[in-house]
Order: sequence, then C-alpha cells, then structure tokens
Amino acid sequence: MESPADITWKGYSLAERDWRWQRVRENAAKAGFDCILVPLCVDGRNLHLSLEQSRGTRSDCRFLTQLENAAVVLPTDGRKPIVISDEESGNDWVPEIRPVDGSWGMAMAQALIDAGMERARIGVSGIRRGFYTHGRAFHGVVNHSSYVDVLGRLPNASFDNATEVIGYARYVKSEEQIGCLRRGAAIAAAGIEKMVELARPGVDEGILYSRVMQRMVSLGSEYYPMAFYSGLHGGGRLPRFEDPTEGRFLQPMYRIANEVDAVFGGLIAQEQQPILLGPIPDAWKPAIEAQRDLYYAGLEHLTPGNPFAEFVDFVNGFGEKRGLKSLMLMHGRGYGDDGPLFTPQNRGARNRDVLIEKGNVFIVKPIVTSADGGFDTSWGGCVLVTDKGGEPLVKRTPGMVAIT
Amino acid sequence: MPWTTPPGAGATVFIWAGYSLAERDRRWRAVRENAGNAGFDCVLVPLGNGVDARYMTQLRCSAMVLPADGRAPIIIADRRSSNTWVPEPWQTGREWAEPMGEALLDLGMERARIGVVGLKGGSVTHCSSIDGVVNHTALAQVMSKLPNATFADATDIVGLVRYVKSDEETVFLRRSAAVAAAGLDALINRARPGVDAGVLYADVTARLLELRSEYYPLVLTLDPIGTLKPKRYTNPPIGKRLESNALITNEVNAILGAELTQVCQAILLGKTPDEWKPVIEVQKEVYEAGLKLIKPGTTLGALQDFVKSFGPKRKMKTVIQMHGCGYGDDGPLLTAKSRGDALRDLGIEKGNAFVWKPVAMTADERIQFAWGGPVLVADTGAEALFTRPHGMVSIC
Repeated sequence: MESPADITWKGYSLAERDWRWQRVRENAAKAGFDCILVPLCVDGRNLHLSLEQSRGTRSDCRFLTQLENAAVVLPTDGRKPIVISDEESGNDWVPEIRPVDGSWGMAMAQALIDAGMERARIGVSGIRRGFYTHGRAFHGVVNHSSYVDVLGRLPNASFDNATEVIGYARYVKSEEQIGCLRRGAAIAAAGIEKMVELARPGVDEGILYSRVMQRMVSLGSEYYPMAFYSGLHGGGRLPRFEDPTEGRFLQPMYRIANEVDAVFGGLIAQEQQPILLGPIPDAWKPAIEAQRDLYYAGLEHLTPGNPFAEFVDFVNGFGEKRGLKSLMLMHGRGYGDDGPLFTPQNRGARNRDVLIEKGNVFIVKPIVTSADGGFDTSWGGCVLVTDKGGEPLVKRTPGMVAIT
Repeated sequence: MPWTTPPGAGATVFIWAGYSLAERDRRWRAVRENAGNAGFDCVLVPLGNGVDARYMTQLRCSAMVLPADGRAPIIIADRRSSNTWVPEPWQTGREWAEPMGEALLDLGMERARIGVVGLKGGSVTHCSSIDGVVNHTALAQVMSKLPNATFADATDIVGLVRYVKSDEETVFLRRSAAVAAAGLDALINRARPGVDAGVLYADVTARLLELRSEYYPLVLTLDPIGTLKPKRYTNPPIGKRLESNALITNEVNAILGAELTQVCQAILLGKTPDEWKPVIEVQKEVYEAGLKLIKPGTTLGALQDFVKSFGPKRKMKTVIQMHGCGYGDDGPLLTAKSRGDALRDLGIEKGNAFVWKPVAMTADERIQFAWGGPVLVADTGAEALFTRPHGMVSIC
C-alpha cells in the first residue's frame, strides 16, 4: 500500500459538497422544514457511550462542512449555509465561517435570524437517535446550554427532530466516499495482518496494540482506537480494551477478538478477525464454517430494494438449519455512529422496515454460536451494496486464524 | 429503585482505574464541601460530562448524583462496568435520562437546589467548552421529572477540586510528563528531510502508546520556517514529506493515570537563523522568570501582567500561554485569544499543575517562539517536569 506521502488524494471535491448539501435540502423539503440546524454537539471525549458513538457526536457537521466542530444553518430553499465554528479558518468547502464570539447559543440564534427563520419550522439534527445515524445515542448529541439559548431567542419558531434528514443523506455513499472507505478497509486489513504477524504467546499485549495502531496510522489512517479482547476460552466474556494495556501478556490458547478500524477521508472502515493462539478445536469448526457460509450467503441477500426484515430473518434463521444459532451483527459505515444498528443487544426490531439501498456500506459480521452455546464466533468486514448484492471492500477470507 | 443490568448490556470496556479509595474519598469530600458552601443540596454530573464523571468514579462512562450532606452517591454506569471505587453502580444500557431522574428522586431532591456540573465552561475546567458539555435531551427530560427543583451551574464545584492535585495524582503527572518527553525524543530522532510526515506521525504516536499513554492527538506543524500561518495537523499528514528548513512545532501529549500533560519544543530541519536567536533567548528568560513567579500566593493576574510587560522592555512582545494539566480541558486557559479576565484574582496553589509555555515574538510578530511543558507547584515554587535543554532543536 502507498505510504501517506505518496497518496495523491486531495480531499473531497466541491461537487461532493454540493451533492451532500442538495440531498439534505431535498430531504428537508420533503419533511417540511424551512432549514436544517446542526447545532453545537457535545465533544466525543465527554459524550462517550462507545467508540462509535463518541466519533459520531459531531459527525453531521463533518459531513456537511469537513470541519471538526461547527454549527450549520442550511436553508431548504437553496441558499448557501451559514457555518459557525471555533476553528481558526474555514476550508475549501466553507471558506467563510462565523466566529463563535463568546457564545455558541448566541451565534447560532443570530445565524437563524439572519437566515430569516424567526417564525420558521426548523429541523434539528442530532436531538434524538435516528435510524441511519446517532443510533446509539438515545438522547441525541446536542449541547444543552447553547441549544436552550437558541430556543429562547427564537420563541416564534418551531423546532423539531430532523436527525433522519441528514441521516438519510449520509446513508447512501457517493463514489468519492466509497473510494475512501475502500482505502480505509484496506488499511484495517493491513492492521489485522500486523496483528497476525506479531501475536504470539508471551507477547506484551500493550506493545501488540501499539504496533497495530502504528501500522494503520503509518498508512494514512486517522487514529481510531482498536477494540481488543483477549483471554482463555471458557472464562466468560473476554475483557475489552480500547487503549494499550499494562501487565497483560498473551498466553497459549488465548482467543483474540478485535474491531480494527481505519479512518480515511473522515469515514470509518472496520475489519474484524478472530485469532486463536493454538490449534482450533474440532468442536469449534462447525460454527466457524457456518459463519463463513452465512457471511457469503448474506452477501447474496444484501440487495437493493429489500427491507432489512428479510435480511435479518435470513441471518437469524441460518444457524438453525445446521443445529446452530446465528445472530445478525452489522451497522452502517461512515462518519461515526452510522446505522441502522443490529447487535445482539439491539436486535434492530425498529429497523426492520428500513430499505437496503445501492451505495450503502455496512460492516457485516454475523455471529454463529454452537448448539450448546459454549462457543461463538464472528468474522466480518466492510461491504458495499451493489445491484448484484454485497461486495466486500477488501478481499479477505472468513474464518478464525490459528497461530500454532 | 436501583437499576440493574439490562439484558445484552454490551461488552465491558476496561480502563485504567488505579487510584486508591482514600483518593476517592478525598475527591468526594472536597466536592461535597464546595457544594455545601455554594448552597447546593447535591451535584449532578450528567450524561455528556464524561471527564468529570471519570474524575469522580474512574468509570469509562457514568453519571452521578452526590448529595452534599454526606450520604453515598448514586452512580449510573453502563456495560456492566464497576470498579473498586464504585462496586455496585446502577446499571443502564443506552437509556440515561430515566435513571438520572430516578437517582435524584431516590435521594429526595424533588425540591432541591441541584448543581449541574459541566453546564457551562468553568474557571479551571471545561475551559474550551464555553457552553458546557451537557447532553440536552437527557437533561431536559431529567428537569421535566423534577419540576420543583432548581438546576444551576456547578462546574466550578468539581473544577476547583480538580485544580489542586493530590500526591497520588502528582505521581502520575510525573510519569505522564516523562512519557510525553519520550515522545518528543522520538520526534527529534526521526525528523529528517525526506521523511514521510505521516509515518513520522505514526512512529511518535506508537512511541507514546508503547509507554502506555492513553491516546491523545499529537499536534504538528511542518511548514518552512517563516510561514506566517502554518498548517496544523492533528492526524497523520497525507501527501507530505519533510523538507529542509521545515519548522516542526509540536504539542506532544501523554496521559497516564488519566492525567494529561504536554511538552513542546520546536525542531528546525536546518540551521537556526540568526534573527531567531534573540527571540529564543527572550523566551527562555520569560519562561524562567515566569517559573519563579508560579508559586502559592501569586495571582494569575499578576503572572499575566508580568509576562505582558516582559517583552516590551526588550523591544519584543511576550504573551502568556498556559493551561492546566489533568483529566482534560483543564484550566486556567490563558492564551493570546483566551485572556481569562475573570480569573485575574484566582491564586496559584500548592498542588496545581500547569503546562507553561509562554510565547516570545518580534514586535511585528513575524518570528514567534514557544517552548515549555508541565510544571508542578510546591510550597516553595514551581518544579519544571520538562527538563530538556531550552531552545530550538536544529537538525542540519
């Protein structure tokens, strides 16, 4: 893979910006909003329900402006947005930004007033969880004090949840976004290769963690913490770490599970690879094989136009035919906290009617559990929805890697 | 009624949680005392204020109601997490407003005066979050459940406790500073003309991680010396190799024991120009003279005035640049942009820890130089934890 200095990608084009803004405007118009407000959102270090969620807090402003922190007023009628930011300067997409000047609330309210929204119907993105975005943040991601200021200064406007307006625009990826996700998936795969190269009994887990992160950042990924699980099988759920650990060393027959994420062009790709530091027991093999078959069969079922209900039922029913259990585990890929979200904790019942669309990108990593429930496995990676079904963004082989 | 682990609560994420129970009790006692003095019946650390929640619980994600009258707090956590400080928190999944409201009601706060921590930027914490860090929808729901209670900002109630570090915290501040300095050493050792800037970024990040720092972004500028507004990188640069005469300014951060410190030393891939030398010398003088002033009893106003007046006597400008060390976004934040007028009377105390890195510049501001790192305030004055020789590192 190219080294960062040799990467020629110069950032998203102005056409991409216009495509995103236009999609949001169209969604806003359909929902009857006069404008969309992306308000100041809590930073991810403070609102940290999970890695995904923390990255997702300010994801709408990044999607619309490529600024790390901004508030946006985007009129539905085609006028250009007003962008407020505490960053020192704008960028190619948003050359002019308004300073915060002491209060985000005052600055946002003034922007709405300047856009003629005193009596408007204003759609607020991120006020609650959505289907397509902010799915893990039940209470949304919006900063309290500044938003209350806005409400107080525009008493005659109405404010309603518009999380889906931007969420749906984010749901379908452009060619430019797919290109970035493809690179991200390849970087994540390289991170996994590094882990497989180094993971041996006796290795310091903290050093292993550092080396995997070094590999991905040295290929141009933004830093996104790897989720790393390790321990002996049979001792209950493996502990999860999101920073390099101290005093933990890999042991023979340790299982390693992981979520290896790489971020390129602001978009999070993820690949996942279970590893065993020893020979794979025969008793595990039926579940590993079924998981592989389920993954491939799932790709064929991941077709545009179908509601998730069919896909979920297919995945969850797959294991039973082999005397095993299977469960859907997948969610969207993008700027952070992308949905729809299907996990063992959140079976995704509320997402059953959501349609799969061409240009969606998901992390697909279904779980298969042995009949007695004593062993489960999940392998997966980024998948693009095409007319012909799901296409992995990077070619890897499902299964558990045995390091003997 | 306590909230118990919901079905399918997600994998527990383990984070460093090594402070003693005595440290927990010290923090809780000090916060209760501040709350009582301010007339609060309790403090609420709500969803959104993750940094103060970590300070109070050592949990990755939590909310807390701490009564001022000495009763035990109710702490809400997720993903089955618990630790020695909080062996039996209430457990939630993704729903936070309901348990926060119930915790307040269980503690009898229906008509109480409730201090909300993180509602606004504080004097010495949440300094860059001028509108605070609290999640709107969750707090609004909590407020609707307690219509007869009053809610007011209590950021400084916890902030002023965080402002003064304990001996346990000081141990980790020292380790953190040493790790940050090792990261800077890695940067100095690897920065050469032709080096891929993204790989350099990765190598320094990895050095910090292997020394067990939690991740915190490395900040670099890489443009040729003399560039008026160099581009600032907080991620690996793409499409860039280091060039001769690049001036690499940096903020190398490390976190150990949850304590964030930072060191800064500019690196020039070339010979230091003569016109920079007097500026570097003045910065050394203002750094050292300022360090002598950083001691218990000095007000921040006095320190600011000293720095501001230091440069003109030498036909230059000098600008204060400092912030606190700690759990994150610690103050006082004093920079050219953030003057901290409201903090002028705040006194420096034993146990404070700052990143001290004043700026010296030519009168026309064309040449600017900063150098510095963490300092710890003791009875007799400040101790610099960053001990590299002063100056710009020149790599020819």
